[in-house]
Amino acid sequence: MVWSAIVHSAIGTRHQQKQLPCQDYGSYILQSDTIIGAIADGAGSAKHADIGAQLAVKTALATLSQWSDPWSAVEGHVMADEAQSLFTDLLQVVVAALEIEAETSEYQLQELGCTLLSFIATPNWLACMQIGDGFIVTQGEQMDTFELLFEPSKGEFINETVFVTSASALEYMQVAVRTQPYPFVCAATDGLEKVAIRFQDWQPFAPFFNPFLQCLRSVPDAADRQAYLETFLASERLNARTDDDKTLLLCLYGQEAEE
Amino acid sequence: MIGQPEFVENPENRCPVILLVDTSSSMSGAPMDALNSGLEAFKEAVIQDEQAALRVDVAIVSFGPVELVQDFVTIDQFMPLHLEAHGLTPMGEAISFALDLLENRKVAYRDNGIQYYRPWVFMITDGAPNPDSPWQQAAERLKNAEAQRKLSFFAVGVQGADMTILNQISPPERPPLMLNGLDFRSMFLWLSDSMVRVSSSTVGGDMVALPPVGWGQIAT
Repeated sequence: MVWSAIVHSAIGTRHQQKQLPCQDYGSYILQSDTIIGAIADGAGSAKHADIGAQLAVKTALATLSQWSDPWSAVEGHVMADEAQSLFTDLLQVVVAALEIEAETSEYQLQELGCTLLSFIATPNWLACMQIGDGFIVTQGEQMDTFELLFEPSKGEFINETVFVTSASALEYMQVAVRTQPYPFVCAATDGLEKVAIRFQDWQPFAPFFNPFLQCLRSVPDAADRQAYLETFLASERLNARTDDDKTLLLCLYGQEAEE
Repeated sequence: MIGQPEFVENPENRCPVILLVDTSSSMSGAPMDALNSGLEAFKEAVIQDEQAALRVDVAIVSFGPVELVQDFVTIDQFMPLHLEAHGLTPMGEAISFALDLLENRKVAYRDNGIQYYRPWVFMITDGAPNPDSPWQQAAERLKNAEAQRKLSFFAVGVQGADMTILNQISPPERPPLMLNGLDFRSMFLWLSDSMVRVSSSTVGGDMVALPPVGWGQIAT
């Protein structure tokens, strides 16, 4: 059994028109039988949000992978007790890295503002955190429905959210641990919210997620899986529905797909 | 062969705006005519933007007597109506009515899974509240709503308006504006441009820069 994962960030048409860079970033690290993932969405109002998002993701991944290797040696119930303080510490490390970057490049810290969603998934448990909007959707073993872990932490209005650089970031950080196997984990930035999540009851829309699940399960070549994701994120069909940057990180723990 | 991901149909985000229009008898004649054609220009301008036409949700409350002359409707469905002037100036009652209307609208949004932007309440008047109008209470409610960032209130005075009272009603960071003559057209085009900007904003969008005001002066 292995984790297979695909991740990609695509620029939104609005940023393209304004000749701004893509302000999303996503990545993951594999650790024997554990996958650690993180994505970030740079604040539209932050001048160097693209740099902030990259730095937040890279710092989160490097930090989490250093803190335990492998994470699967930690028991689920221990993780359940520790997750809140673990991710609180992680937030501090990420903010410290952003502060150093702000100082050396002579930016304001707020100019590096971004959301952050990160997770550790072992074969036996899943631990996740989220600051700001975007979503983490999972599917447990033997289950055929998808689960949205957190409702997006938006303000009352759609154009307000929290960033890691906000004074209230910790207060709005959401943490969840599942102590059963969750072989499918998907993290995405808010550019995909309105096509993948039904807002009325915050249910993940299964026909959005199923093709990705199938792709990870049955497409044997990693480059083909990646191409499937990139083609989708660049598609006109999608861009007609959202003009924002969008990042999708998809992970599946299972048998390696065979030729 | 793997199929393509399908998309859920979510309702459009909404950008609510209440126009709170003084239709007391002093507005009759040229001011009312200019205001009515301004409303038409507003619709024509917003509808040019396909997205804003579906997102900008406008309601009109008039006060001669307080009346909901247009319940919330998106611009693509909005038929500008012809407002007529008669009666007094129950400004306080009108503001309270608008605040209640807004709260009810928000409940409807939430019940239907509709995401929304911070609402605007845009008041236009050429007078002063009736002596018996509870405008201080209404101003207090507005102040609280502003402080909790529940809405943005704008007041526009037309020649003859009591700018001192409008100053007391308006939040300090957004003082009332005195309309240049009867240039409602420029004012509504500005409102349209602002609404288009707000309704296309996303994360961090509370930093939306509004267009410069070329149609009025800050009363001092």
